[in-house]
Amino acid sequence: MIFTLVKIELMKIFKKWRTYIGFIAIGILVPLLHLAMYLEGQNSIDFVTRGLRDSFILVGNLLNGYWISYIILNALTIHIPFLITLVAADLLAGEATAGTYRILVTRPISRIQIVTSKFLAGIIYTGSLIIWLAFISLVVGLIVFGSGELIVAGSDAIIIFDKSDVLWRFFLAYGFGILSMSVVCSLAIFFSSLVENAIGPIVSTMAIIIIFIILSAFDVAVLRELKPYLFTNYILEWREFFNDPLDLPEIAKSVLILSGHIILFFTATSFIFNKKDILS
Amino acid sequence: MIFRILFVVILFGTPGFSQIKDPDSILEKVKKEFEKIEDYQVDVKIKVDVDFLKMPEREATIFYKKPDKFHIDSENFALLPKSGLNSSPLGFLNYDYKAYYIREDTINGSITSVIKVIPLEVSADVILSTLWVDTQRNIILKVESTRKPQGTFFIDFEYLKTKKGFWLPSSMIFSFTVDRSLYPGKLNKDKESESGKAEKETGYVYLTYSNYKVNIGLSDEIFEDKDAKK
Repeated sequence: MIFTLVKIELMKIFKKWRTYIGFIAIGILVPLLHLAMYLEGQNSIDFVTRGLRDSFILVGNLLNGYWISYIILNALTIHIPFLITLVAADLLAGEATAGTYRILVTRPISRIQIVTSKFLAGIIYTGSLIIWLAFISLVVGLIVFGSGELIVAGSDAIIIFDKSDVLWRFFLAYGFGILSMSVVCSLAIFFSSLVENAIGPIVSTMAIIIIFIILSAFDVAVLRELKPYLFTNYILEWREFFNDPLDLPEIAKSVLILSGHIILFFTATSFIFNKKDILS
Repeated sequence: MIFRILFVVILFGTPGFSQIKDPDSILEKVKKEFEKIEDYQVDVKIKVDVDFLKMPEREATIFYKKPDKFHIDSENFALLPKSGLNSSPLGFLNYDYKAYYIREDTINGSITSVIKVIPLEVSADVILSTLWVDTQRNIILKVESTRKPQGTFFIDFEYLKTKKGFWLPSSMIFSFTVDRSLYPGKLNKDKESESGKAEKETGYVYLTYSNYKVNIGLSDEIFEDKDAKK
């Protein structure tokens, strides 16, 4: 039953024009970033390696598909939430706007099943957007720029990963990206359950993300103590997959906290939707 | 008369006086020894050991052709020290200089002459170099050099005798100091906060040479795409 419901929800999602905005935006933005990196990428590499160039000869291709994908992943994790909220914020509020709540709820399915199917559909959409990002940045990046070692300026050291040691890190990083963006999706669905118009949930979700990111960015003692409680603090933890050795406890902690947020938003949404008066 | 005899004995009998060597002649012999090599090709393994840089061991092939053609070929990214890489003593003496013999020293059982080299050219990037020269084999065993802007580095060589009878390095250890402030990211910020100013870091690059092919008539074409490969 839930499989059919998710299928229907996905059909609803992919019938809407706004769903494709994210895919089109990534499809345009990432090739533009590829072009920019093609023209200026060497400067970024030179910046990271500037301390070494006085004493050393650097041989090989560091400006490659992996490096470009890493940079793009850094740049887009802040902006992708907006593309996700565009769709997720409409999942419940859209039903209210269209006046289809009553038809939906009077069908022989529980309200929990409705919320579950919407959450799953939202997460599938989020996953497909991240996979599209991975395809455009990594696959196209590798075709255009070729393969090579990945240089990462980490917290303790500059790490140069062998090209045979990179791909699995990207798979896990994109997987983590799907998890962290699913939190954004869940938050948007939660806000979507509170109102009857998608604009409010979109703005609210983005406002929360922007506020949390700004609070995380300020390196002040008071805010530093607040940081562990801001879910945005864990969104960029995919970078841990590009560390050597991997900080597994830190990654596990982030996965648990982000998963906890999804469960929390799902529970809250289910509770609100269960109590929702559809007769008014 | 006795005093005159004593003076002559002291003057010519002192071991230090009798062993004072001509540094220019020593360095010329080193240059001449290396000039016997027209070209060579060698495989090199590179290992970098420095706290702020993690990278896997690498392999590359170095091509050298007289007088200063140089090319590195590597399938992967490699990081090699600029100084001493082609084993040529000319690399340390490619400017007008004044050499001073300092003393004798022993490195791994080999007696060496320690020579300080001061550049006479204002534009030279070298401030001061000290060379430990094995005068038996006419090769440089150790280098300490202070350069702009790298600072001071040390190079320790070990040699092997090739099938054709040339002494060429079997290994090289390049030790250097770098300013952490030249590196981006938190690694620099953390260090600065401890002391209030940027700190120096010591690192090592180990090169192991093998499979020398000397005087094989390397084509100039190998060196033409030098820039493209680097």
